[in-house]
Amino acid sequence: MPHTQLIDDLKRIVGPNGVVANPDALMTYDADGCVMDIGEPQVVVLPTTAEQVSGVVRLAARYGVPIVPRGAGTGLSGGATPITGGIVVSTARMDRILQVDTRNGRVLCQPGVINWELSNYLKPYGYQFAPDPSSQKACTVGGNIANNSGGPHCLKYGITASHVLGVEMVLPDGQIIWTGEGAPALSGYDLTGVVTGSEGTIGLVTAAWLKLTRLPEAVRVVLALFPTIAGASATVSQVIAGGFLPAALEIMDRLAIKAVNDMYRLGLPEQADAALLIEVDGVEDGLDDLLADVTAVCWRNGAIDVRPARTLAEQNQVWAARKNAFGAMGRLAPTYYLVDTVVPRTRLPYTMEQVGRISAEYRLPIANVFHAGDGNLHPIILFDRRDSSQNQRALEAATGVMQVSIEQGGVISGEHGIGVEKQDYMTLLFSTDDLAAMAGLHQSFDPNDLFNPGKVFPKGRGCGELAALRRAGVAWESLKHGVN
Amino acid sequence: MMSGLQQQLAELVGETNLSADGAAHAIHGQLPTLVVTPGSVEELAQSMALCYEARMPVVPWGGGTRQLWGRPLSATSFVVIKTTRLNRLLTYEPDDLTISVEAGMTLGHLDQLLAANNQMLPLDAPWPERTTIGGLLATAIDGPRRPGYGTARDLLIGIRVVEATGRISKAGGMVVKNVSGFDMMKLYLGSLGTLAIIVSANFKLLPQPRATGTLACSFAQPAAAFAFAEAIRASYLTPAAVEYLEGWPVEAAATTITMLVRIEGLPAAVERHVRDLSGMAAHAGATAVQRDPPAELGLAWAQVANVAHPLTATPGELSLRLSCLPGALEQTLAVLRDLARRQGLLLRIDARALSGMAYLRLVGDEETLRGWYTAALALHPQLSLIAATPALAAELPVWGVAHANLELMQRIKQEFDPDRLLNPGRYLVG
Ligand SMILES: Cc1cc2nc3c(=O)[nH]c(=O)nc-3n(C[C@H](O)[C@H](O)[C@H](O)COP(=O)(O)OP(=O)(O)OC[C@H]3O[C@@H](n4cnc5c(N)ncnc54)[C@H](O)[C@@H]3O)c2cc1C
Repeated sequence: MPHTQLIDDLKRIVGPNGVVANPDALMTYDADGCVMDIGEPQVVVLPTTAEQVSGVVRLAARYGVPIVPRGAGTGLSGGATPITGGIVVSTARMDRILQVDTRNGRVLCQPGVINWELSNYLKPYGYQFAPDPSSQKACTVGGNIANNSGGPHCLKYGITASHVLGVEMVLPDGQIIWTGEGAPALSGYDLTGVVTGSEGTIGLVTAAWLKLTRLPEAVRVVLALFPTIAGASATVSQVIAGGFLPAALEIMDRLAIKAVNDMYRLGLPEQADAALLIEVDGVEDGLDDLLADVTAVCWRNGAIDVRPARTLAEQNQVWAARKNAFGAMGRLAPTYYLVDTVVPRTRLPYTMEQVGRISAEYRLPIANVFHAGDGNLHPIILFDRRDSSQNQRALEAATGVMQVSIEQGGVISGEHGIGVEKQDYMTLLFSTDDLAAMAGLHQSFDPNDLFNPGKVFPKGRGCGELAALRRAGVAWESLKHGVN
Repeated sequence: MMSGLQQQLAELVGETNLSADGAAHAIHGQLPTLVVTPGSVEELAQSMALCYEARMPVVPWGGGTRQLWGRPLSATSFVVIKTTRLNRLLTYEPDDLTISVEAGMTLGHLDQLLAANNQMLPLDAPWPERTTIGGLLATAIDGPRRPGYGTARDLLIGIRVVEATGRISKAGGMVVKNVSGFDMMKLYLGSLGTLAIIVSANFKLLPQPRATGTLACSFAQPAAAFAFAEAIRASYLTPAAVEYLEGWPVEAAATTITMLVRIEGLPAAVERHVRDLSGMAAHAGATAVQRDPPAELGLAWAQVANVAHPLTATPGELSLRLSCLPGALEQTLAVLRDLARRQGLLLRIDARALSGMAYLRLVGDEETLRGWYTAALALHPQLSLIAATPALAAELPVWGVAHANLELMQRIKQEFDPDRLLNPGRYLVG
């Protein structure tokens, strides 16, 4: 069917203002925050209701055109990139906070609500939405749910999955369902749990009941400076092993310090090779003791300075530096490629050493700004994309980081997701049987691969194929031979 | 006469690990034809594969503490696959605060391993000396410290399962934060063994608190106790557990109300909590507030975790779980209490006062219990039976009524177990 027909049909569903088809405007939607892959959508729609989304999904099914859900497009794994074209469904106009229900500890929002705006909105009530990705000023709660995003404070408060009580979503057949509304332990399978982190491949979230987290009575922030990143990493390992429970433990290395210094005039000493941002929170009582204990670990590991952020303004400044560090990378190189992996926390010092080795080996600077307390590294490879040799080396360096992380007992993504960026690395971590089980779950929601096709699962190992393999009981055959 | 399957299983696991005497593994009076106890994940997978080949239904069995849960099996013959020999510690890195164990390890054993390093997995499932990790996860049972630490859903970081065909698959890993692939842990957790058999699990751990404290606050009326709970909710305080107990311990009068609060953390924070909570309880009208109540009171936390979970179904007794919005708990309990009183039933309540979860036990004659449950469901559809006699379990809607999304759940079941071999008929789906 002709393109114009599709566009007309879409306009009938979402109104003429809800359809973007102009080629220049479409370019905005050809990638997310990860510029390593791009793909142009046929058309973008901006629905305002679940019913409109459902209408668009039914239409897409009829035309056989993929649906690509999109929040703010800050994702870093190509999740919102229309890699095979199709209809991008942007939640930008579904941006209302619908109900704050403190008595039941929940808030109802549309998916396009910006994470930061939600927490600001909740502040006067004495609450927050705990997941706080560094991109929180731009990213949406829909994107947070789809990616099961993390953030500095997830060390204490847990990742997004622990903060989603139930969602309204449109399924690939156009049905609109609710998975829960905040009552715990419902009978049946945990649909809320499986849709969280499914990267827009099995359902398009159109509303969500999110959990409210009480703002703490007291907060302390300190910045500890170390002559080596090894000292900062060892401190993190020991703080965790020592059973202290800080709210956040974030590391920035020398390159990152330089970038944020230039941008925010923090005046951090640039001879420090690493800064460790420590936050503790809770009731006032005992908090200073906890901080003293953690600070003692810093000194033991060779800290050169430990600077408390005494006022709220100082605390905000330190946090702003941390959360905007990626943004400051533009000052260091034309392009950066952020690799998100996780290792067990005792492996952090060694892994960081290896990251240094990889930087030297591929002759590319690597900055590090990361959620150290969770063992979640973010080596940021700095390069110039226009130079094909650098481009190639950046990709190889990224592979190196993933390999080292896996060798150390880690995984290939802690919070940014698989998307297209890491789909081919899934086999480093998972067997065909593991992937086939995931494909089975996927197929029970989206048998025709309508939502975000060609993502998460390895290329050339489509989930339809994996699921078929599974149904044919291949592994069972081999087991049977084992018995005989 | 030995069947083909029996012979194959005997060859696989050895005669001593196979039994044709099902009496100790009855489910609502139904006896398995065989009980097989594999010694490794591979043996378990192969046992499952053999059952699959024979299209023989299977009941996964851990410590047997929750087998009353659910409807009777829809199959006439079935095999029990026990995980009790899969009780090994796989990896424990105390300094990483992570652990991986086989599914047949008991929670009690796991607790011991962790305590040696001043660590904990604060799940507080009932009957920890018998409850296995696999069973705990399959039933997604919670414990009193839910407000403080969440449930297994928040602490499970990796899983390995054997699917209906005998295929082994895994998800997650040994790190505390991970979005590599779909979160299959959420799918298997609480699926009552209807999608796969859990064979090992990885958890993130917590350090044991430096200090703890318990406050037992007595109240004359439910309303006063819930006013206390509401004051806690609105405060900055973060108790680990806030348990509303009505009619507990068993020896107490049915109208005895205790709010049992547990505090864990830094010594100074615990003292602050004790101070503030005592004041708030008094303000809400507590008749007595006692710190660290003596054991004679019968309200030790280990006992509290067990109270609502009988191990056997007693005629004339019904045990059930209620789920609602946290703010609706007081009102929902009031309605159900009223219904019980009018029908002359004895009701005991153990509620997670901040979480919208409650475990109820009712005593009365079978006829009245049947009537009460039916009437209660009409008022509150999110009830489920956790212990009832075989007759009632067969007849009553064990998993509550008015469920959403059944068709989608059926599709998942169809994909994972199209032959309906895993715990057929027992759960809401499958
Ligand atoms: C500077 C910077 C810092 C970052 N810091 C962090 C961090 O600290 N922690 C972290 O976890 N991530 C971080 N990220 C990554 C990213 O911001 C998060 O993944 C975020 O949650 C994505 O939200 P979004 O609205 O931009 O989603 P998008 O990028 O638009 O989409 C992300 C994925 O979600 C799907 N999706 C979006 N909306 C819906 C919906 N309503 N229903 C179903 N699927 C949907 C998309 O298809 C896609 O697969 C950072 C990114 C940047 C650029």
